[in-house]
Amino acid sequence: MTSTRRTVLSTALGLGLAAATGLSFGLSAAPASAQGWEPTRPIQIVVGFAPGGGTDQTARLIASAAQELFPVPLVVVNRPGASGTLAAEIVANADPDGHTLLVGGGSESTSVPNHMETNYSLDQFRGVARVNREHMVIVTKAGSGLDSVEAVVEHAKENPGDLAYASSGPAGILHSAFLVFEKEAGIEMQHVPYQGGAPALAALLGGHVDLAIITPGDAMAQMEAGNVNAIATTSDRAPQIPDVPSLSELGYDVNLENMKGLVAPAATPDEAIAYLQERFEQAMQSETFATLAERANIQPGYLSGQEFEQAMSDMSAAIREAIGERPEGN
Amino acid sequence: MDPLLLALWGFTTPAVFLTLLGSVVIGLVIGAIPGLSVNIAVALAVPLTIFMPTEQALVMLIGLYGSGIFGGSISAILLNAPGTPASAATIFDGFPMARAGLATKALRISLVASVFGSVFSIALLVMLAPQLAQFALRFGPVEIASLLFFTFLIIGVLSGGSLMKGLLSASIGMALATIGSDPMLGIPRFTFGSTSLMDGLTYVPLLVGLFALAEIIEEATKGFSKTAQKVELAAEDRAANRITRTELKMMGVPMLRASAIGSAIGILPGIGATIASFLAYADAKRSAKDASRFGKGDVRGVAVSESSNNAVVGATFIPTLALGIPGDAVTAILLGALVLQGVTPGPLIFMTAPGIVYTIYFALLLSTILMGVIGYFAVRPLAMTLRIPKIYLMPCVALVCVAGSYVARNNIVDLFVMIGAGVLGFVFNRTGVPVAPLLITFIITPPFEEALRQALTRSQGSFAPFLTNPVTIGLALVAILLVLLSARRERALAARASAEKAADDGDAKASEGRA
Repeated sequence: MTSTRRTVLSTALGLGLAAATGLSFGLSAAPASAQGWEPTRPIQIVVGFAPGGGTDQTARLIASAAQELFPVPLVVVNRPGASGTLAAEIVANADPDGHTLLVGGGSESTSVPNHMETNYSLDQFRGVARVNREHMVIVTKAGSGLDSVEAVVEHAKENPGDLAYASSGPAGILHSAFLVFEKEAGIEMQHVPYQGGAPALAALLGGHVDLAIITPGDAMAQMEAGNVNAIATTSDRAPQIPDVPSLSELGYDVNLENMKGLVAPAATPDEAIAYLQERFEQAMQSETFATLAERANIQPGYLSGQEFEQAMSDMSAAIREAIGERPEGN
Repeated sequence: MDPLLLALWGFTTPAVFLTLLGSVVIGLVIGAIPGLSVNIAVALAVPLTIFMPTEQALVMLIGLYGSGIFGGSISAILLNAPGTPASAATIFDGFPMARAGLATKALRISLVASVFGSVFSIALLVMLAPQLAQFALRFGPVEIASLLFFTFLIIGVLSGGSLMKGLLSASIGMALATIGSDPMLGIPRFTFGSTSLMDGLTYVPLLVGLFALAEIIEEATKGFSKTAQKVELAAEDRAANRITRTELKMMGVPMLRASAIGSAIGILPGIGATIASFLAYADAKRSAKDASRFGKGDVRGVAVSESSNNAVVGATFIPTLALGIPGDAVTAILLGALVLQGVTPGPLIFMTAPGIVYTIYFALLLSTILMGVIGYFAVRPLAMTLRIPKIYLMPCVALVCVAGSYVARNNIVDLFVMIGAGVLGFVFNRTGVPVAPLLITFIITPPFEEALRQALTRSQGSFAPFLTNPVTIGLALVAILLVLLSARRERALAARASAEKAADDGDAKASEGRA
């Protein structure tokens, strides 16, 4: 038995959302399923972070857009804790019957298991669909003189260990992104972890660290205000800030993103995965999804289950390689 | 039309006003239920706001936030169970007042103080947001570590009679705080391989256990009285429960100081309303001429705790609006909600969307006023709760304790923590060990460790920055001064006591002589 009270709250919320978007799963006709697998009870979408955060928004977005295609309710359940690994552990060990999904693809999937021992690993999950991707933007404080990747690398090479970067916490995706960048650029910097992205940005603006990684939306706002230099993104160029180059363009082999998508326990049967994948793909092409994603400032990035798995394992491998060359716990 | 007037005009729409009214009421109720925090209320409201007009959405979220913190004091005063962690310090004097039949008065003071603290911080937000936010940015790890180190001193003030017992309690709190991931390396400490313990213990279950469950156990040992409480709210109590002019005068300066403390803490990231209320409480107790009533039902205790925690609410909006960096979890959710409304929060919001900023100001102010009005009428009926015989009331409180501890994280470990804390609290109460030092060290230790280690990472292990930093030096001087002052006062008190004793002895001898 999981959360009684929270489930009730989430269900109420899901119902509210469904009503608000003019959907109602009671009336909707689910597409006829040829594969012979049908969900028989509510499908839980487990979120490893507190309600209101980015991962939670993604979960509620896809749940409300996909609801009309399912004969059973899609229920978002928050199990925050340990940078999302608590939820990942729960889903990795859940019944692989297609009724329990995790919003994965971020720190808990690609980053944390490479840094420390976790009670699950990436190959205990099967991809269902990637929902969105979020670019990561490396920023420095305006007026610091570190106005390009070149300037940062040059400074770091001349004064090893002098520059410091802020992360959202040890072992998270931001920490890993800096580790991969350090390795590719052949530099060494200090890591100063903060409790989340917001305090990390505050530390950068206060001049307590030299570099931080933020979202394109935040980068745009802080650049307009003349507070930060956005020196590079860690994957390709972000549509919100098209003038900021990517690290790979600049000659550093870095391709990391904060992805969000749905994964299921690895032993989930093919028929169930096919059933889920078909419906979530259809949901992401819907009008509802497009409207909601635009309002929530979420950049859709559909990938099929297999492609999503591949993207996660590529990122995980790059991170593992970068950590391998460093002393324990750094 | 001017954006200011336009924003104000928006509140005359029935939908916006009714949303505000509704969310203030819901915030009060959720705040009053131990364990159901304001964060949960605000987070769950966000998806509902997606399709609302911007004004209505903002008003809903802000209404929930401000009134939730006042709501927390209701259960703190009536049930010895803080509805929100920020109201923990309200218990110290609020619950003794309620026991003495002054529940209505305690609730009224809490209301007055909450409104006072809110208005104070909203005024700061409106007038000085950009300047204060810039100042707060300069507070780096060294400054924050020093400030938190300084707050450990208040253990002495919160210890009551015996400093030894206070330190015992404080060290247990500090030990409990080290459970969980190491903040720098992420390596698990004292988790025994359990992922559920990776985030450590959280203070909601600890708080609920230490106060509410401990009280239930205490009542259980008395076999739960089956009769209605003798807390009469009749005619003679009406007079006793009125706040007198002298009391208002007595609370004025402490409330002002408490609001300033709350605002200062609210601007700094990662410290929070709970520490603010403890600090304000300790400050008031220390600076009071006659502190003997503190902890036994002093009106000032309730007033300072509640004004400081409500002052945090307005103050957290200062970095949120001026820098685009949320001051706490609730403002972070609020920023997310603004994005849903198509507004990019950030340092330029004052120029790009002044209407939004004014709407936030008015929503904060109006929700405070509404909270005052609703609170005024709700206070007496709420105080009636105490008339319910314990045998019916306590099981309900126990149920709320269990549910509240669980829902915060959906983590079963929290339930065991709550029960363990309840037993510990009961043992503490019976042995005269104060609970407050445990709580305060439990709350301060994690941010202190984080800031200290961040500072040491930056200085490559050297403590030199702590010796050259002006903030650190200033705080150290204040600390030394405080210790000297309190030592002098202790000596003066001891001298007077021994003089009185000598005089008494003299009198006694004289009367013996006569006899």
